[in-house]
Amino acid sequence: MKQGFYGILPFALGAAAYGFAFGILAAQSGYPWWGVALMSFSVHAGSSQIVAVERFGMDGLVIGAALAGIALNLRYLGIIATLSAILKDIPLWQKLVAIHITGDENWALTMARHAQDPKIGAAFLIGSGLTLMTSWTTSTALGALLGQSMPDLASYGLGFAFTAAFIAMARAMWRGRHNIAPWAVILWQQSC
Amino acid sequence: MILDHSLLIAFLAVGAYGLRLAGLIGGQAILRNERLKTLLDDLPGCLIVALVATSLADASPLTWIAAAFALVVAILTNNVVITMALGFTAIFGMQYFGMGGKKQSEKTFNFG
Repeated sequence: MKQGFYGILPFALGAAAYGFAFGILAAQSGYPWWGVALMSFSVHAGSSQIVAVERFGMDGLVIGAALAGIALNLRYLGIIATLSAILKDIPLWQKLVAIHITGDENWALTMARHAQDPKIGAAFLIGSGLTLMTSWTTSTALGALLGQSMPDLASYGLGFAFTAAFIAMARAMWRGRHNIAPWAVILWQQSC
Repeated sequence: MILDHSLLIAFLAVGAYGLRLAGLIGGQAILRNERLKTLLDDLPGCLIVALVATSLADASPLTWIAAAFALVVAILTNNVVITMALGFTAIFGMQYFGMGGKKQSEKTFNFG
């Protein structure tokens, strides 16, 4: 678990920058800092939260905002499904916690490390997820609380650090030439 | 915080966890099926490539150059932290010291 805790730290710091920005956005939509913290802790889905709060800020309609946020989270069906082998030997309550604290970053890092070393598994996922969850919840609440007086860290290119990290993870998951066709189709479809 | 704010949190929380739970149940069902099990082997790579593609969609040429640089670093090092650090250094350097392109602040990231 310690490995996961430390391994995810660079990602958690980057995510915190976005968390801070989201906190500011949510505060502008009327959420108090503790409401932002409650949302981040109970939802733990950054992109979903950002889209939902933006939509809510535009028209004030709860159902539309919630559906937009949930739609963006559909990818978790696949993400969590891929964790089945890693989670199969841990107790049910740990599985139920693990799926909640799984985010894009710690899932991808766990899968990449697992591909290199099969001993890396549920403990790594949970350790990294706890770090990520803490970082996300704290940074969003701080964004709502402290607001506008901080520099915009995203403007320094921090967002690309995540893209670079995912490129490295894809490299680690390269399983041979049979990956070329599906990856090319996905790359074309998603980037056009 | 009014009732609508609380309702939005509740709907999002239930929806997000419901999808995760469905993934867990569905994934276990797939694991019991040998023919479908191979699907899970290739799914992580495809999902990560989709995340990369989404973050590069509509990105500036500068970002694509930095992405190509990061890919080379990834191929050479096979190390996430080094690729992340050098990728960030590359785009930061191009933005502020070299090519003077548009800042990357417009791009957002699908943090999960």
